[in-house]
Amino acid sequence: MSFNENEKVTEFHPPKNYKTLFFVIILCSFCALILAVLSSSLNKKQEEAKKVDRSKQLLIASRILSYQNYFLIKENDEYKSAFFDQSKDILVESNEIRKATQKEILYVYEKRVKPQLIDLQGNLIDFSKAGINYQKYLEDNQRLGYANLQYKLIYLIYPNTASSQITDSTEPIGYVIPVNGMGLWDAIYGYLAIESNGDTVIGTTWYEQAETAGLGANISLPAWQEQFHNKVIFQKSPDGTTNFQRAQIGITVVKGKVSEAYGNLPKSESAVDGITGATLTGMGVTDAYRDVLKQYRPFLEKIAEVK
Amino acid sequence: MKKYRSFFLDPLWKDNQILVAILGICSALAVTINVQVALTMALAVSFVTAFSSFFVSLIRKITPDNVRMIAQLAIISLFVIIVDQFLKAFFYEMSKVLSVFVGLIITNCLVMGRAESMAKNVSPIPAFLDGLSAGLGYGYVIIAVGAIREVFGFGSFFGFQIIPLGWYATAENPGGYVNFGLMPLAPAAFFILGGFIWIANIINEKRL
Repeated sequence: MSFNENEKVTEFHPPKNYKTLFFVIILCSFCALILAVLSSSLNKKQEEAKKVDRSKQLLIASRILSYQNYFLIKENDEYKSAFFDQSKDILVESNEIRKATQKEILYVYEKRVKPQLIDLQGNLIDFSKAGINYQKYLEDNQRLGYANLQYKLIYLIYPNTASSQITDSTEPIGYVIPVNGMGLWDAIYGYLAIESNGDTVIGTTWYEQAETAGLGANISLPAWQEQFHNKVIFQKSPDGTTNFQRAQIGITVVKGKVSEAYGNLPKSESAVDGITGATLTGMGVTDAYRDVLKQYRPFLEKIAEVK
Repeated sequence: MKKYRSFFLDPLWKDNQILVAILGICSALAVTINVQVALTMALAVSFVTAFSSFFVSLIRKITPDNVRMIAQLAIISLFVIIVDQFLKAFFYEMSKVLSVFVGLIITNCLVMGRAESMAKNVSPIPAFLDGLSAGLGYGYVIIAVGAIREVFGFGSFFGFQIIPLGWYATAENPGGYVNFGLMPLAPAAFFILGGFIWIANIINEKRL
């Protein structure tokens, strides 16, 4: 080794590079360690929060729970505040507003909401009869939605009675269809609750979205979702009647106000006001309702005809 | 030697990150659509700047100069993810409203600005105070912008309707009040922010 080469080695300062590399590795592993611990310790809590939120959103869509977190019961087409009476095992009307606890919400959910499947002909099938495990089915399909599957998911809503009186033959008061589609930025997920006539909307919620905060994200706000109540999913023909075989299905989010776009035309009953500055999100929502409901159409036509 | 008090007070007005240093503008446009979102964002940014400044300062003597920015970025993202995970576990509703913007705190230049210009030169406690008040200084500005945009754009404040619904124009009463349609859009934040910076400049020049 010549003298010159030795000098070059000291110019490169190799030990310093090792020090830098060492520093970065230590720092990154330290950050990764903290995040791993944090994520594994909060994971259960996050999953729980998500599950509770989904159950809550489903109950809100079907108007068993209000946006302000108290129970509702329907009397003569009017919704009144209620609380859960443990001894009677039903919801009882109350004039003062009592917030529901998380436990009560989950209990009422278990009692009054029953997941079932719909086959391609539009018949209801139990999970056990179809040989499908509910939890696994949810996990496998929640990202892409259930509408395009052979067996589609639907929730039956049972009336407000004690759990001992709810059997398989109990007539449901409504159905909840999980809806999903693409918003402006990302996939959006929600519920649409429909009365047992297969046409009238009870309510809707969007529980998972990543739209622009304050604009598109307003689809998850109560003030916007409340307009869906009493809309119809089968668009009425100009003479005001509904032809269930022919009618267009879905709910349109118009740009601006429904009263300005459609006036008093019968099709205004299948449309809701758009959100200012969120036209593209509105189009995504319109597409989501149309595409999903199209797949549930055989079932919806069937129950609409029976009524 | 600067006093702890001035470390805390300077970034609130004299060195305000938005009004004087013009940093963090991009996020100020995105999250000032209403007060509630702006408030949560302000708290999250204050938390992230305070703690990332603290830790950047803590390792300032052993950080090799050529990777200092990567090191700062790693620390900042660590705290941003902590905030994000925490919101998802305990304030699920809020995390749904803020969605992507929490993750975007990483790209907020004021966090890195504080780490680079202050935290790497001073000891941990002053760095912490400086970071905290830089976040708070940013916070009150975006809350003010959010308040203006929410009141004029939606007629509400903190989610409560303050302009009576009866005043609004309807088909029967076309001469009524109409929300200012520009306010919910991003350019409105530009104009308001520009106005604020102008006012701050006038006041600061007078004092000199």
